[in-house]
Amino acid sequence: MPPRVQSRRVSSILLPYLAPSSASIQPSSCPSQILSRQFSATSAPQTKLRREMFAWLNTEGAALKDHVPGETNYLPNPRNFNETNLKPFPHNDNFISESILSEELRNEIYTRVVKKKRSVRAVSVELGVEMKRIAAVVRLVELEQRQRAQGKPLALPYARAVHEMVPTTRLAEKGERQAWHEPINDLPAHPATGAQIFYPVPESRSFTRVDAGRVFSAAPALENERREAISHPSDLAEDVLNKKPGAIEMVGKGDNAREVLLPADARIPHPHLVKMELDRIAFPEERRQIVERNVKRIARQDEIEKSRREKAEAWRERSIRHIEPEGGRFDFRFQNVEFSKQTTGANGRSHKAPGRRYGVPNQSHKRGVTKIPTRVEA
Amino acid sequence: MRNRASNTLSKGKIRQSWSKYNLYNLQRFRSPPTASRTFFQQKWTAKALARAYHGEQVREGQWKRMFSRRIRSVVPMNTLDLAKDDGSETSAGRGSGLKTAEDPSPSRRVPYTNMAFAPLERRLDVAIFRALFASSARQARQFVIHGAVTVNGQKMRHPSYLLNPGDLFQVDPERVMFATGAPKTRFERRETRQLKQKDQKEDNDEAEAEPEQEAKEAKEESIEKKDENVKDTLKALISQAKTIMSKDKSVLPAKRKQELRGFQKRVRAVLSRSATSTVLTDSLEAQFSELTLALKAKRAEPAPKEGKKSTKEQPSEQEAAAASQTENTGDKLSEAFQKAVEGEEVDTSELSDEEFDVLRRALTQMRDNPIDHSKPYSTPWCPRDYMSAFAFIPRYLEVNQNICAAVYLRHPVARPGLAEVPSPFGETVSTPAYGWYLKRRW
Repeated sequence: MPPRVQSRRVSSILLPYLAPSSASIQPSSCPSQILSRQFSATSAPQTKLRREMFAWLNTEGAALKDHVPGETNYLPNPRNFNETNLKPFPHNDNFISESILSEELRNEIYTRVVKKKRSVRAVSVELGVEMKRIAAVVRLVELEQRQRAQGKPLALPYARAVHEMVPTTRLAEKGERQAWHEPINDLPAHPATGAQIFYPVPESRSFTRVDAGRVFSAAPALENERREAISHPSDLAEDVLNKKPGAIEMVGKGDNAREVLLPADARIPHPHLVKMELDRIAFPEERRQIVERNVKRIARQDEIEKSRREKAEAWRERSIRHIEPEGGRFDFRFQNVEFSKQTTGANGRSHKAPGRRYGVPNQSHKRGVTKIPTRVEA
Repeated sequence: MRNRASNTLSKGKIRQSWSKYNLYNLQRFRSPPTASRTFFQQKWTAKALARAYHGEQVREGQWKRMFSRRIRSVVPMNTLDLAKDDGSETSAGRGSGLKTAEDPSPSRRVPYTNMAFAPLERRLDVAIFRALFASSARQARQFVIHGAVTVNGQKMRHPSYLLNPGDLFQVDPERVMFATGAPKTRFERRETRQLKQKDQKEDNDEAEAEPEQEAKEAKEESIEKKDENVKDTLKALISQAKTIMSKDKSVLPAKRKQELRGFQKRVRAVLSRSATSTVLTDSLEAQFSELTLALKAKRAEPAPKEGKKSTKEQPSEQEAAAASQTENTGDKLSEAFQKAVEGEEVDTSELSDEEFDVLRRALTQMRDNPIDHSKPYSTPWCPRDYMSAFAFIPRYLEVNQNICAAVYLRHPVARPGLAEVPSPFGETVSTPAYGWYLKRRW
């Protein structure tokens, strides 16, 4: 039996309650077993690699065994020693351990959204947390509360340990400015922008982001009247929000029809922030009015989005027929299955339409086609 | 599927695992040599290395079908820059902007090829491992197959289920505690065995077993209740101390036994006094919860502690103090108990932070982290060795550790200077590996 690294956990059971969660291990040097049988004739079963590994684990690796609360404990990076180490993989400089939301910040998000009825967009801008993350946090906190109420088992010591090991974004105290958790205005790179295009433009012409988007999507240049109507690319964001007819142009015909690429101002998650910055540049004195206008803008955008969501929901509900048999516990939902030219295609052989048709093989038995569920309804 | 994901030292492959073998392999990893090797050889080695870590449980053909050469990336936009310039400044002159006196700092490159294995991060088993719910991707896979994982509230038994943005997955907290907790010691294993034998005996004569179990359950319920009494907690503390005394006779050294006995005595003394004042216990509990919050905030705070009232020592020093003064802590604890129970209001100023800390820790941890030999992990729970070296949570997941649930927010993306796919390999490996999987190979 090769020597094992002995588990040196404290045997006292009360001590862990009186000491911090991490300090449950006392370092002590175990006498090497190789020494204890130095007169043995049989060769040690320990390979060189194993010996080296345990040597490393007992010297340099010993620091990695347990964590210090509030600090990361990753493999030391040979290139930088002074800074706090946020790279769990010393060979990958492009991956860092990013901070997670602290318990208090998570609860703050929940109270602001659910109890104070603030909109997700407003809370996102205040705390610097992505809108998707805010929605997820609300969902998770709600689930946690439900589970606590039901008395289901929780993993509280585990949660504490993880929050001690991983960098966290803490909630700012009163009077302090909240540090942003993550960049909230991420612009997804559109595949159409991948191409390198040589597009000659006269130097006298101002070539804006709107024009660049049109070039990338191979749309004809804007007419002069329309160009002059746009004072700043963020105007297009307004048009898109208001669903102004023709705000989103299409290029191409038939199956190749696609939307003209909008400028970044209209494609970022918080377009109202650009408007606010424009206001700040135009009226540097009127601080309060700028904030008020921004609040109004957020409220308007929320309202429009909410009505749009409700409409979509109502439309989906209308397309489903509910049947609840009396005395039964089921709610049968019937959805109309369309069998038309749209689904079968022009030649009637598209695999999207339901049912078996002559000459249309069933795709589900093909190699490489997913046969397990692709989605789970919430 | 046969598990080929062994952490051998001779091969030195890096796996999605928290094992110490893996840590050692990670530590001694060096980029493969390129000199005097053909491009094909370089790509082959890089691909082999990368695939040993990324989705080793996925067949090569399966992964080839998942691979996509298109990589998701985002650019964080500065709204002030967008407002200042409508794009005409950037495109002025000959198309690349008029030269200013000083060039802005060069933008960082987007590490596209580090995202080569991004499609695998969508898999349920990998996501469970990334959320720190399992100690290896293989274990995460087992959890899924054994039915311990739900997706959006429904049991999901396919480890290869590809999560959609917005999916909520949850693992049984017991399994997570087992996966991430330290294994049992020899003594604890023996305790478990004895417990099992006892249970078997009790099964034979059920008349004895039932009332005890009921009492146990009642106790647990009372502990879990929100408006629980401190008294109950203290009683539980005493009973636990008793059980320790009775069970670990051979394990505990004599000195510790003495400590335990003293502790028991003190708690009993406090209990007898608090019996007269029942109203105060509620406020005490409230005080505890407040303190818990306050202390948590303190801990989360980075090193400088300004604007805070008396925090005497750094956390590490506190630890040292706690370790060295184990004998004194008992007295302090009892004092704190008495003060908290007798005084109408428990002033933070009256009691030192340290005392409160000890008191709070003992009580809250007692409740949250009890000694229970029936669990498959060492109790009270503490993280397994070397867990901290692997502990990070990527941004595309939002995790709630309390209930062991996480939401897959979005697909991982690359941004300037950062790739969200956790990978131990730098561009020297990821770029040739990406090239290997392209339809038209480099």
